Amino acid sequence: MELFKPEFGLAFWMFIAFLCLFLILAKWAWPFIIKSMEERADLIDKGVAYAQEAKAHLDNAKVEADKLIAEARNEQADILREAAKMRNDLIEKARGEAADEAKKVTDAAQVSLEQARKEAEKQLRAEVGDLALQIAEKVIRRNIADDDAQRALVDQYLSEVETKN
Amino acid sequence: MKKAITAIIAVVIIALMVLGYTEAAHHSDGKMHEVDPQEIIFEHLGDSYGWEVPFSHSKRIPLPIIVRAQDGSWHAFMSCRLADGAQYDGFQIAKGGDYNNKVVQVLPDGSQYRPVDLSITKNVAGIFIAALLVLVMVFKVKNWYKKNGMKAPRRLTAALEVVVDFVYTDTIRPIMGKEAPKYGPYLLTVFFFILTMNLLGLIVIFPGGANLTGNLAVTAVLALITFLVTNLTGTRHYWQEMFWPDVPTALKCPVPLMQIIELFGIFTKPIALMIRLFANMMGGHMVVIVFMLLIFIFGSMFGAAVGGGMTVLSVALSLFMLILDTLVSFIQAYVFTILSTMFISMAHVHAHHE
Repeated sequence: MELFKPEFGLAFWMFIAFLCLFLILAKWAWPFIIKSMEERADLIDKGVAYAQEAKAHLDNAKVEADKLIAEARNEQADILREAAKMRNDLIEKARGEAADEAKKVTDAAQVSLEQARKEAEKQLRAEVGDLALQIAEKVIRRNIADDDAQRALVDQYLSEVETKN
Repeated sequence: MKKAITAIIAVVIIALMVLGYTEAAHHSDGKMHEVDPQEIIFEHLGDSYGWEVPFSHSKRIPLPIIVRAQDGSWHAFMSCRLADGAQYDGFQIAKGGDYNNKVVQVLPDGSQYRPVDLSITKNVAGIFIAALLVLVMVFKVKNWYKKNGMKAPRRLTAALEVVVDFVYTDTIRPIMGKEAPKYGPYLLTVFFFILTMNLLGLIVIFPGGANLTGNLAVTAVLALITFLVTNLTGTRHYWQEMFWPDVPTALKCPVPLMQIIELFGIFTKPIALMIRLFANMMGGHMVVIVFMLLIFIFGSMFGAAVGGGMTVLSVALSLFMLILDTLVSFIQAYVFTILSTMFISMAHVHAHHE
């Protein structure tokens, strides 16, 4: 059975061919190919990881944006509330101040009125005094015996004074 | 369209049957030589000094013969000089006898001397072609990376890359671990070389057709290299397990039972590798040829018409076997590689309690 008898020449050449092939490939091809393939695998892995991260970021961004908006709304409400409060306070304060001012003005007016009244009273008294003096003077001057006539005269002068005033 | 295809197939089948009929009739009418299946099978499976060309029984592509004569001198000439039993320089191709179909030196006393034969036979040329093809393919992949860097390859380069990735990343690396870059080149070379030789063997015309991995010498060399790599790079622990394994002393001390078994194992592993690849590939080739020969065997046994009728069945069965052999080519290349990987990684054991 020649099939089962290994031929020396064939084995020899096979050995040589394999050795050459192996040495050439092992030196110049395989390490480079393996390295490149691993590098590319890494690159692809990294790319996938990056894409996933980016997607997560994107998904997060929406949630975050929603959160931000909600926060902003809250803040806005707070600010509005505060503003309203401040406004009320201001109005309150202004009102109080106005009331105070008004009170002061009325007080001052009252005081001046009182003064004016007192002055007027004083003047009136003085004038009444004067008048009385004048009347008395006149009465005395006329020398009227008649009581009635005197009374009429006083009346008349009083009326005169009234009309004068 | 369907009708046209059916018609074409029918015509081809009828033509095949007629061809088979005439061939079978030719051979069975006694004028031509009787078909000898065994001779045909061994001629196709074995080695030869020329490379046959299609449709011709006599023409051969001449290949160089390199022999060392009995007196120690080297002779080199083309195989066409020895065609048809011609003698050249005292050499001829023996017919029958111990050296059937081999180059022998005819000594002055008429006896035959088998010289040291380093001829570039059909198988050797096939090996060179396969090696060259592997070189071209692998450098194609390498140059792609060199030129295009991280871009994904297309077409053949992509297909090769997938195979490289499958063998290296999915097979060698998981088994070898961090030693993978050291032994990866050897194992990848083995895989691609065997795969290319297997597939070349399935192509029937010139660049292929040599039954390379179905030849014991070829698989023996491959197995021998794996054997050498395994045992020359084996760690101390590997040898310790061989000569002083971790078993009860009774099993290893007065009678070295375990040592004998382990020693036996060293040699059975590569021999199993050698036989597995050889038997699978040779068997596949043989079955394909036998299916084709059924035409002539049936023709000579039951008449030409039966032989002609066998044509369709034979071709269909051969085709099926060839397709199966394509699958087997991949599987056997892969099995050889994965087993080599495992043998090598098994020789790199470290103590369990590290």
